[in-house]
Amino acid sequence: MARWLAGRLLQALITAALAVVLMFFLVRAAPGDPLARLSEDRQLSPEAAAVLRARYGLDQPAGRQFRSFATGLVRGDLGTSIEYGRPVTELLRERLPGSVLLGGTVLLLTFGLGSWLGALQAVRRGAMDRLASAVALTLYATPSFWLALVLAWLVGIEWRLLPAAGMRDPLLPADAGALERLADLLRHLVLPSVTLAAVNLAATMRYQRAAMLEVLQQPWIATARARGLGDGAVHWRHAFRNALFPVVTLFGLWLPLLVAGSVFVEKIFAWPGLGALAADAVGSRDYPVLMGASLLVTALVVLGSLLADVAYAVLDPRVRRP
Amino acid sequence: MRRTRLALVTLALPALAFPLAGRATAQGSIVVVTGEHAAAPVPTVGEGTTANADVADQLFLRLAVPSPGRAAAGDRGFTPQLARSWSRRDSVTLVFDLDRRARWHDGVPVTSRDVVFTFGRALDPALAPVHAGLLAQVASVQAEGAHRVVFRFKRPYADQLFDATYFVSPIPAHLLDTLRPADLQRSAFVRAPVGNGPFRWVRSVPGEFIELAAVRNHFLGRPGVSRLVFRTATDADARINLMLSGEGDALIGAIPPLANRDRLLATGEIRLVTTPSNSIGYLLFNQRAPGDSTRPHPILGDVRVRRAIVAALDREAMVRSVFGPYAEVPYGPASGMLWISALAPDPAPRDLAAARRLLADAGWRDADGDGILDRDGRPLALSINVPATSAARRQMAVQAQEQLRQAGIRLEVLVLERPVWQERHVGGNFDIGFGSATQDATPAGLTQSWSCAGGSNVAHYCNPIVDSLMRRAQLSFGDVSPLWREVLDRVEADAPAAFLFAPVTVVAVHRRFERSAVLAGAPWLMLHSWRVRRGAELPRDRAAR
Repeated sequence: MARWLAGRLLQALITAALAVVLMFFLVRAAPGDPLARLSEDRQLSPEAAAVLRARYGLDQPAGRQFRSFATGLVRGDLGTSIEYGRPVTELLRERLPGSVLLGGTVLLLTFGLGSWLGALQAVRRGAMDRLASAVALTLYATPSFWLALVLAWLVGIEWRLLPAAGMRDPLLPADAGALERLADLLRHLVLPSVTLAAVNLAATMRYQRAAMLEVLQQPWIATARARGLGDGAVHWRHAFRNALFPVVTLFGLWLPLLVAGSVFVEKIFAWPGLGALAADAVGSRDYPVLMGASLLVTALVVLGSLLADVAYAVLDPRVRRP
Repeated sequence: MRRTRLALVTLALPALAFPLAGRATAQGSIVVVTGEHAAAPVPTVGEGTTANADVADQLFLRLAVPSPGRAAAGDRGFTPQLARSWSRRDSVTLVFDLDRRARWHDGVPVTSRDVVFTFGRALDPALAPVHAGLLAQVASVQAEGAHRVVFRFKRPYADQLFDATYFVSPIPAHLLDTLRPADLQRSAFVRAPVGNGPFRWVRSVPGEFIELAAVRNHFLGRPGVSRLVFRTATDADARINLMLSGEGDALIGAIPPLANRDRLLATGEIRLVTTPSNSIGYLLFNQRAPGDSTRPHPILGDVRVRRAIVAALDREAMVRSVFGPYAEVPYGPASGMLWISALAPDPAPRDLAAARRLLADAGWRDADGDGILDRDGRPLALSINVPATSAARRQMAVQAQEQLRQAGIRLEVLVLERPVWQERHVGGNFDIGFGSATQDATPAGLTQSWSCAGGSNVAHYCNPIVDSLMRRAQLSFGDVSPLWREVLDRVEADAPAAFLFAPVTVVAVHRRFERSAVLAGAPWLMLHSWRVRRGAELPRDRAAR
């Protein structure tokens, strides 16, 4: 197992390194002036532009820029944002909690609720199954940005039940207690997480339903029933656990959602996450931020894939065989 | 920071003097909804972004500010802030006496050392390239005692007081002069600035908001509210939603689209305040061949074609369809905030017949009957670069396409990502660039775009007579109105651009505020004078810190 794991780790590191190198050069090959954002209100003079290009190393050949990026990376320094004028590591650190909170909640809802509903569909075939499928597929077909706009309008503006945007109320009294702050955070979390979870739920449900149906047809399920086990025990203690394999793989693939989130949903709900930061960085060609965010997503993609493999290997020893 | 952020002109507003000194209580909060988080709201550090300047305006006082309702021209039209008074020693020397009551938020007095330290940074191109360019005429800034500062300029010109006071607000030397200059940007000070303005720093929650608190014993008077929050939403829909849901109190830039006006007013909680803007939008005609500035543009190098395009456009209709009543068609490159815009006559209306005549004079005929003019077998076809970030400009570009087609001109609309648009614009790689500018508060700033050697003159417009007129207008301390009027006339005649729109700034403000003054060019500069009407307070107003 240890040797297998070491091999997978090495493979993951090589993949991540290749992705980073590719991203670095592809981003710079794209047309566009990274100083555009700073010229939005006022055209920079050629002299000022030259100083700023030198400050951010943009006047250097791409090879030299990569060398300084790689050297910084080794030291844990991802450079300074062109747009914000602040260290990229600081910006990422500031945005990470928001992304993890939203992404984590969405993953929890998507996989917790999705797995349960999918399994429920499989064991209760008929009207309930058809209705759940129809609702889930309708939500799946709904663009997240549209759903976000509708929810913000209906719940946030028309009914004023929940905040229309943001992650916390800036006017919460200074002496507000921890519970009050937590409640405020949760109120802000509802609309973006429900939006994202709603459109993603169907995939988990479908996977789980199909896996559950397959497991329920296995001979050992019939054996369990013949031993006198009740429906509840057969379905949830035996079948459900064995039907989790495909969903584990799906979970690994969706792990990057933790940081990448959904750009549109983060934007519409003014959620301070990494997705919106990265999207803005693309729009303004803020190379350092773009590389920092990409690095994080790459690491999570590789980690997610690795974790899925490990989970599979733990659950099914046949995978580890050479 | 930006030359553009000047409070100026036209509004009949209360004086800039802080109005609430002596008022028994100041409570309530203002939530300003903005599109960008101020990452470095410190003068000479956060160059180039409006967000930084908006917050810095609340934290740091300038030496003086242009008075509302008066045109800042020469040495007239300014209200003291950090400087109690100023005088002129000679045509190149200004002397400022600082207000001895001024204190940093940590209690240390503001002195001439702070001013000298700050300008030392601002004049260094390596540290503050934008400021250094703006202050190119400042030769030196020296202290004479603890409360007197002497500015010397490289040559006599009318806007010396403006240059000395507007771009740079002093920062505290006693906290910063031990830092290596290049380290300031990454210092703890930038994350929690200590200023001398009407509001002090409380906290920043990156990507979400910045909270400031009123300085209750400020030497110019207590602000009208106790808390001020700049809340960030990078998406335009999210910003509107914050206003519509009652979570925001003030927002700039909601219009266009015009539909937002009705949505905001329908809440019954919001009113719209307008003030002249320093923005202007235009179709810039490249007078050199795209990508080769040594050759004239094969089509737009001919002034008759440029004039024909201007005549063929129905600018009034375009402006009304996009901005409604919130913009005018400018005469020449004068935004509504520039005092010279008052000198300008109405721009010429659409004249399709004149456009066709001009094109015919230039040798363009429809030889093949396809509706597009041609000359020597080459069609009269141009492209226009439009930044994708501006829906208004995209809409107007399509309208221009149709209007020019009626004159026999084919216009290809290229919608480009902002950085790509910028790269092509600065590199002169375009036929027509749909540009917009945020102008300087004084007409002297026009030289940057409309003089032969102007740093922002990417389309290579050059008329030595216009240059000479602008130079004379800048150097004169007398009435320069006739000179600027002639500048506008000559630029209009040369048609370096089709000047399309000069919008007003529309600010959505919650109705519970009274005295919600908004200044042209620096809309948030007077937030300290806003206050909540008695009896109209919301629960959150009572929960002030």
